[in-house]
Amino acid sequence: MDVSRYIKHPLFLTLFFFFIAPVAVIPLGGMSLAIEVMIWVIFAMGFNILLGYTGLPSFGHGLFFGSGAYLFGLFQHHVIKGVWIPLGGSILGCAIIAAVLAIFLAKKRGIYHALLTIAFTQMFFFIAFQWDAVTGGENGLMGIERYPLTFFGLFNIKIESSVGLYYFVFAILAVSIIFLWKLIYSPLGSVFYAIKQNELRAKYLGYNTPFVKWLSWIISGAFGGLAGSLHALLTHGAFADPIHWTRSGDVVMMVIIGGGLTNFFGPVLGAIIFIALRDIFSTITEHWYLFYGLLIVVIIMFMPEGILGYFKVGKSGAQESLEELKPASLDLKGVE
Amino acid sequence: MAEILAQLFNGIVLGLLFGVMALGFMMILSVMEVINFGHGALFALGAYFALTLQKFVGYWPALILAPVFVGLLGLVIERFAIRRIYGKDPLFGLLLTLGLAMIFEEIIRIIWGKAGYSLSAPAFAAGPINLGNLWYSKYLLFLAFLSLILLFLVWIFLEKTPYGAIIKAGVSDSEMVLALGKNLDRLRTLVFGLGAALAGIAGVIAGPMWSLKPTMGTEILMPSFVVVVIGGIGSFWGAIIGGLIVGLSKSLSILVYPRMSELAMYFIMAIVLVLRPRGIMGEKSLLEE
Repeated sequence: MDVSRYIKHPLFLTLFFFFIAPVAVIPLGGMSLAIEVMIWVIFAMGFNILLGYTGLPSFGHGLFFGSGAYLFGLFQHHVIKGVWIPLGGSILGCAIIAAVLAIFLAKKRGIYHALLTIAFTQMFFFIAFQWDAVTGGENGLMGIERYPLTFFGLFNIKIESSVGLYYFVFAILAVSIIFLWKLIYSPLGSVFYAIKQNELRAKYLGYNTPFVKWLSWIISGAFGGLAGSLHALLTHGAFADPIHWTRSGDVVMMVIIGGGLTNFFGPVLGAIIFIALRDIFSTITEHWYLFYGLLIVVIIMFMPEGILGYFKVGKSGAQESLEELKPASLDLKGVE
Repeated sequence: MAEILAQLFNGIVLGLLFGVMALGFMMILSVMEVINFGHGALFALGAYFALTLQKFVGYWPALILAPVFVGLLGLVIERFAIRRIYGKDPLFGLLLTLGLAMIFEEIIRIIWGKAGYSLSAPAFAAGPINLGNLWYSKYLLFLAFLSLILLFLVWIFLEKTPYGAIIKAGVSDSEMVLALGKNLDRLRTLVFGLGAALAGIAGVIAGPMWSLKPTMGTEILMPSFVVVVIGGIGSFWGAIIGGLIVGLSKSLSILVYPRMSELAMYFIMAIVLVLRPRGIMGEKSLLEE
């Protein structure tokens, strides 16, 4: 076994980076920001299955982030005072929401698909905002607690401190990244990518493309629920704000800035840069949105392939699978 | 009874205004294949331009000049920004216009401040009018009248001029329009300018009804979206029908259950999507590909 091959692997390097990051972050006092970065990495990478790998432009993914947080809180308030079961319930709940919405969406593509995702996210925003008996309305759903993690009653781990929560989120991040990495290199992952390349061709090859798109929705919705739940733990509350359409560009920008459309690790870089810039600009100016808007315009106009794409870093993830798929797709030119 | 009638009128007035917004939004969507998130910001800019212009030139010139300025801004935006993302993934158009919307909203906040303003109505349309057993705002009737004129002008443009035919052709295939030797670049710039001007004038005429605040654009954008989804992309009458449905759903739900007034249109949209996935008047178009 060649150990150095594993150590050089970007998956390992990414996880190692987050593992040792607190050494630098704790003295700076930015632990909650660091936790937020990891939560958004989970969210953005799950979202990228839909956007970057299946090629479905969703502009309403905040819906799952927000709903995940609410579901987590509701499970804690009404079902059980713990972490695991609310987390599972929230992921399952978001997967179900995604499954229902995707019935409408799985047959659509392109602009029409995007238009509907925006309308749906706004619908959820108003439900969360108006239904204050359940969601706390404008004030949000408060009183979400970081209960100790129990492992079948054998032992408990406390996650009240920011270091405790950091490593809990880190563990989930590790599992998530490895799961997503395995997923995109699985046969299902190839079909996702085939749909992005040419849905008609994938269909003629015998794949049930609406079903595969539906699966892609469910997976990325479930990750939204996971990230939202962790965010609820971080902030002790669930709020309607992330569901509003004006915030729906956040996760898309994290994918794009880093270069997530061509690189598996793009969302990692994107989330770090996005959260850092937001933190810096919102402390020095009250017009963060002016700079955010300018950033979007500049990136889209001059650097739409993102940082990793622009500097052509690595050949991991999407880019690699693109090359793997090339010979096969050339052979099938006649199908159309 | 008078209350129901008043809300019915409100719904129609709102519906016509949403129709004007939705048509500009839809023209841009059809020809450029861009979902214009900045449409609401252009609406807000129209209102704020009119606010400043009214102080210098009075009501009527401001009514014309403010939309002209917004239209010119639209031309500039198209020429220097939107043009770069044609033919790319729709995501880039969405993000670009979202970024522009944020920039404009912050610029409004910087220039005019966070406080709300009210735009003054022309003197003859101030106060209420007696309609049988109902006292109704004169200005809202005037607003409905102006919206009808605008809708009529758009209808003439779309149905009776060669430009309209090209725009409607663009809904099915912009490459084919190009292949037929039409100047697609110039058409796109023109349509974006016109769409922006329509949003601007909608902002000017809606100004006296609502207070002017930086977020007013964000708030009107979603009804315009829903109107297009309900009515169907590429249909003039779809936008009118969708506009009226959304306007009436907003105003009538106030009578029954006020909390539902923002939500009702989304439920209607979901129902329409189940029954007619392309919207009430929608036809199959390349935008679905």
